[in-house]
Amino acid sequence: MNVIETKDITYSYPDGTLALKDVEFNAAKGKIIALLGPNGAGKSTLFLHFNGILKPNKGTVRVNGEPLKYDKAGLMKVRQKVGIVFQNPDDQLFAPTVMEDVAFGPMNIGLPDEEVEERVKESLERVGMEGLENKAPHHLSGGQKKRVAIAGILAMRPEIMVLDEPTSGLDPKGASQIMHLLYNLNQEGMTIVISTHDVDLVPLYAYNVYIISEGKIIKEGSPLEVFEDVETIRGANLRLPRIAHLMEILGKEDKLPFDKPYPLTIGEARRRILKEFNDRVR
Amino acid sequence: MFSNTLDNYAHNNNLNGMNTYFKVLFGIVTMLVSLISTSPVVPLIIALFMSILIVFIAKVSWKFYLKFFLFPFSFGLITFIFMAIFFGVGAHILELGIFNLAVTADGFNLGLLVFARMMGGFTCLAFLALTTPMTELFSVLRLIKIPQIVLEIAMLMYRYIFVFLDEAINMYHTQETRLGYSSLKKSFKSMGMLGSNLFIRTWMKGEQAFIAMESRCYDGSIKTMKKQGSIKTMGTRNLVLLVLFEVVLIMGVYFTGSFRIF
Repeated sequence: MNVIETKDITYSYPDGTLALKDVEFNAAKGKIIALLGPNGAGKSTLFLHFNGILKPNKGTVRVNGEPLKYDKAGLMKVRQKVGIVFQNPDDQLFAPTVMEDVAFGPMNIGLPDEEVEERVKESLERVGMEGLENKAPHHLSGGQKKRVAIAGILAMRPEIMVLDEPTSGLDPKGASQIMHLLYNLNQEGMTIVISTHDVDLVPLYAYNVYIISEGKIIKEGSPLEVFEDVETIRGANLRLPRIAHLMEILGKEDKLPFDKPYPLTIGEARRRILKEFNDRVR
Repeated sequence: MFSNTLDNYAHNNNLNGMNTYFKVLFGIVTMLVSLISTSPVVPLIIALFMSILIVFIAKVSWKFYLKFFLFPFSFGLITFIFMAIFFGVGAHILELGIFNLAVTADGFNLGLLVFARMMGGFTCLAFLALTTPMTELFSVLRLIKIPQIVLEIAMLMYRYIFVFLDEAINMYHTQETRLGYSSLKKSFKSMGMLGSNLFIRTWMKGEQAFIAMESRCYDGSIKTMKKQGSIKTMGTRNLVLLVLFEVVLIMGVYFTGSFRIF
């Protein structure tokens, strides 16, 4: 079942620039979906349709099968279900302390204070930020800010979490911690949609990949299927994962017996190489 | 970053753990005592006492405090000098010898009193500013029923001061790398561009922040948890200490009320 479904949505900015054209995007329940695309392809714009911040000029957005209602009550409801974590945590963290920021969402839902406090505590523990409740955001590092931003969404207990470039600007360890966190949340049943251009990270986690370029979805499928279409990937200003690129070169230039579909992760590549190696030796 | 700012000291000082209400009440009541004093003695004692508290008890770096103190001090001194010369009538105690200017006893005493009150009041505020983080002051402000809208604006301003300070510093560095400050004329130009660019950024950031808040069901008012904190958390011991201290000061005000140097 798809928790988010967009049907042919088209959106142009007030100045007339066409940002999205007939976009069809489906997120299956309980999966991790990746939206890959170069800068300015419309990733963030698409995400803002998921919780009704932007209203498409044409087409419909469905959440849990119901079309979005753009009245006050409808928006309240959908924003509790679909949580968006923005790319720059400084845009999202506005309160003077970590605690007040994380409490913002649950307070807006109108929960009683005790419940809010419990949720704040729980979400901060979840992202490993307990004990920093009374810190001011400008005393935190980039990775910590990102985690607080995620906690702020978690505290609203959304069914679907949408993250815009969750690993951008983080060091490798910070990035992998965030991805681990997302993976664990997904294991517990949360549907996760991420936008990224980090092609090395996507195949490790994603169930389904969409490629967006100039406001259009140009490719969709499992990571293996999508990265098999090397021309489309490159045409969209993206690249193969490093490991797949290596296998491509080994196959084409050095005539080693590696061909499509290229392995996308270190684990897959290792198996392929070992298999070839063992076959030769035998 | 921001290691040498007021905010940083407010967050990291030895009196950080102390009850906020106690600190606020202490600072404000002492300031009031300093202001009602009719002689310079008590305010100067308060200034000294507060400075000792700030430097030796709260352990704020004395270099920073000195710099911080220098501005109101020089301002106060100028006031003092002008009042001594131009205010008051009566016997001259010092002839300056130019333009018939002279210091009068009246003017001198008034100037000294104003100076002392300024220093007393300032050190009390400095004590508050350097030992109590803004974030905790907000809860005090809420308690004394400051209107919600004022608080919201203050909270957002406080947060975004640092975001934009960060941006401004970054922009400044990028301009410096391209020799934007190599001459006075270029400095003016670069500074102007930095300012206008920062203004545009505030606009964009504001829009972004609004979208992010809307995504979390923002409906136009920032709701905050009603913290259990009340003035009662101050503790009886602190309250007794505070009252005793202020009573001693007020007695000081009473007994030194007619003290004059001239």
